Amino acid sequence: MDERVVEFVSALRSNGVRVSLAESVDSLKAVEVIGVLDRDRFKNALKATLIKEPADVPVFEQIFPLYFGSGGPEMQQPQGLTKEQQEMLERALDELRQQIQELMRMLAQGQRLSDEQLREAARKSGVTRQMRGMNQQVREWLTERMLRQLGLTPEQLRDALESLMKQLKMQGMDREGRQEVSETIQQNADAMREQVSRFVGQNMLNQPSDNPRRRRIDELMNRPLSSLSDAEAEELRNHVRRLVAQLRARAALRMRRANQGNLDAKSTIRHNQRYGGVPIEIKLRRHHLKPKLTVIVDVSTSMRPVAEFLLQMVYEMQDQVSKARSFAFIDDIHDISQPFNEHRPEDAVPLVLHSIPPGHYNTDLGNSLVTFSREFLDTVDRRTTLIFVGDGRNNYNDPRADLVQMLKMRARRVVWMNPEPPYMWGQGDSDMLAYAPLCDAVHQVATLQQLADAIDDLFQHRV
Amino acid sequence: MFNSIADVTSGLLGQQYIASDEIATVVYLAEKMGKPILAEGPAGVGKTELSKAWAGATGRELIRLQCYEGLDESKALYEWEYAKQMLYTQLLRDKLSQIVGEAQTLGQAADRLAGEENVFFSMRFLLPRPLLRAIMSDKPVVLLIDEIDRADAEFEAFLLEILSDFQVSVPELGTLKARTQPMVVLTSNNTRELSEALKRRALYLFIDYPSLESELNIVRMRVPDLSPSVAKQCVEIVQRLRGLDLKKSPSVAETVDWAKALVAINARHLDDKTLNDTLTVILKHESDIQRARRVLSAGKARDVGVR
Repeated sequence: MDERVVEFVSALRSNGVRVSLAESVDSLKAVEVIGVLDRDRFKNALKATLIKEPADVPVFEQIFPLYFGSGGPEMQQPQGLTKEQQEMLERALDELRQQIQELMRMLAQGQRLSDEQLREAARKSGVTRQMRGMNQQVREWLTERMLRQLGLTPEQLRDALESLMKQLKMQGMDREGRQEVSETIQQNADAMREQVSRFVGQNMLNQPSDNPRRRRIDELMNRPLSSLSDAEAEELRNHVRRLVAQLRARAALRMRRANQGNLDAKSTIRHNQRYGGVPIEIKLRRHHLKPKLTVIVDVSTSMRPVAEFLLQMVYEMQDQVSKARSFAFIDDIHDISQPFNEHRPEDAVPLVLHSIPPGHYNTDLGNSLVTFSREFLDTVDRRTTLIFVGDGRNNYNDPRADLVQMLKMRARRVVWMNPEPPYMWGQGDSDMLAYAPLCDAVHQVATLQQLADAIDDLFQHRV
Repeated sequence: MFNSIADVTSGLLGQQYIASDEIATVVYLAEKMGKPILAEGPAGVGKTELSKAWAGATGRELIRLQCYEGLDESKALYEWEYAKQMLYTQLLRDKLSQIVGEAQTLGQAADRLAGEENVFFSMRFLLPRPLLRAIMSDKPVVLLIDEIDRADAEFEAFLLEILSDFQVSVPELGTLKARTQPMVVLTSNNTRELSEALKRRALYLFIDYPSLESELNIVRMRVPDLSPSVAKQCVEIVQRLRGLDLKKSPSVAETVDWAKALVAINARHLDDKTLNDTLTVILKHESDIQRARRVLSAGKARDVGVR
C-alpha cells in the first residue's frame, strides 16, 4: 500500500501540486492510523495531509480514483452452471476463432488482464509514457484505441458474444444457461474496460521526477511579459500570490531583524510612570521601516503587461508598506489609488486598466509630470519611495527631466523600472538617458523574475 | 481520548457540533499524529466552534489566542510582571538590607544580591500568555489560534518554532518544555496566503458552507423549539442568499441566530412581513438587504404566477 501512496504522491506532483517529503511521510502515517478499509476515510486522510490549497482539490479528486479506484465491478464466474454445462462452455470456447478465443475465455472465467497483457496492448495501440498532461479527450481516445486492440469495444464484444452463443446452442446448452454466461461475460467486460481506462489514466499521469508545471512556471518567469499569450499570463497571475508570499516572508524577516532602534525617551518616561519613574521598561523608537510608495505607471499598450503585474504585486504586499498611492498615465496622469483601496488587488487591476483604455494616445510623461507636480505633489515626501514604471519613450515630447529632479529632492528614493534593456535607451524617442542619472536605481523588468527581484530590492532599502 | 472516528463524531455531536466525516477524520488524525489542524473556509462556518466542541468532548481546557495585526511575542507568550516585582522589592526592603547589610564591600553586597536574583526571576513573576499557558499546562489542552491570517508574517514564523518542538526558551529561566502536547487548531479566513512552512506542518481542513440538509440538522439541533417547516424555509432562504453575489454571505452562525430570533417573536410561519422584519439578522449591509428583498419577492411573485 505504501508504494501505491508514494506513486500517487508523485502523480500529484507531476500535476503541479506541491507535496513536500514531510507531507508524504505524514500521509503514510495517517494511512497507518486510519487504515485502508474505509475508502472515504482513507481519502480524507490523504487529502488532509497532502492537499493544502483549495485550488489543488480538483486535481486530487481527479487523480484519486485512478489510483485507489473501487477497482470497477469485480470479475465473476458464471454461477449455477451444471458440470455438463461447464463442459459445453469449454467446448464452445474451443470452437471460436483464434482471435477472440483468448479474450472470451478470460471473460467467461473471470480473469483480469495481466500487467503484461495491458502493456502489450498499450504498445500496439500507441499508449506510451510520452503522453503528457491530463487531457480528458486524449485519454478517452487512447482508451478507445486500447479497447479496440483488445477486442473489447461494444461492437466487437457483441460479435464475439454472438458467435459464442451460436456455439453454445450447437453444444445444446439451454436458454437459461446461455443467458447466465452472456450476462457474466458482459459484466466482466465492463470491469475489464474499467481496468483499461485506469491503466491509460495512470500512464498519462505517472511521469514522476520531472514536473512540467513547475518547470513551465520557471520558464514563464523568465519570459518577457510582453510576449506572453493570454493563457500564459493567466498562469503567471495565479503564480503571483505565491511569489508575493515568499517576498513578504523575506521582507518580514528583515524587519524583525532590524527592529532595534534608538531609545525613545518620551515613551520610556510615560510607560514607567507606574514604577515611580524608574526606567524598568525601555521603549525603543521603532524605525519607520515600512516604506511609503508612490507609483507612477505607464499604461500605454506596450507597457500594459508589466504595469499589470507590478500593480498587483505592490498591492499584494500592502501589509509591508505603510502607504501606497498609485497613478497611471498615458498622455495625462490619473489617480488610481481609489480602486485599490476598495477592491482586492486581483480585481482592482483589471478595473483600472479597463477604465483607461489603450488607444492612439500620445504617450507624454512630461505633461503627466506637470499635472502630477501641480496636483499630487503632497504624495511625495521625504519618506516616500517614488517608483516610475515606463519605457521612458515620450514621442519626442519634452521629457521634463527637471521635474524628476525636483521630485528626487523631495523623495527618499527614486526608482525606475523599465522593461527595455539598457542598450535601447536613448534610441528613437527614448528619453531614458535623461531620466536614468536622476534615479537612485534603475531596474530592467522585462520578466516576472526581474520584477520580483526589483520589488524585493525596494524592501531592502529601508531608512 | 477518541478511539475511533465514530467516537469523534459522537463526541462532537455531544457538544452540539455536527461533524462531517471529513472533519471527524481530520480531528481523529490530529489526535493520533499530534499534528496541528489548519482550518480554512469562509467566516462563520464553525471553525472556531469545532475547537470548542473538541475541547468539550475530550474534557480538555480550551486556550484561545486571538490573532490581530501587531500581535507580538510578549502578548502571545509571556511577560514579566514588572509591577509585581517592584512591589515585592519595596515590601521586602528590610529583608534585602538585612542580606546586604553585613557585607563589607560593595562587591560583596552585589554578590549577595545576585544570589537572591532567582527569587525575582521565577515563575512567580512570569505572566504566562496563551501560548505559554498551553505549553505549561499539566493537563492536555486544546489550543485555538484564531484567525492566524490576521497576524503579521513574522508572528507566523515565530509560531512555527513553537509548534514544531513545543518548547519555549525564557532567557532568565531556561527552556520550558511542554509537559503534555497541546492539540492545536489554527483557523484562517483566507484573507492572505499563509506561508508554505506552516501549511506543511499542519493537517489541512477546508470547511465550506454546509449543504441544505446538514444546515437544517444544525438548526434543528441548536434551536429545537423552531417548528420544522419554518426551519426548512429558513435554511432554504439562507442557502439561496448564499448563491447571490452579496457583500457578506450569511454564515451558519447567523442562520442559527435567525432561527432563534424567529422563536423569540414566536413566528408560526415565515410570511413576507416576518421575513422583512427579521432579514437584518442574517444580512448586515443595507445594499444586501435591498437586494435580497428584491430577489425573494421576485421569487414569490413567480411562484404565485405558476399557481
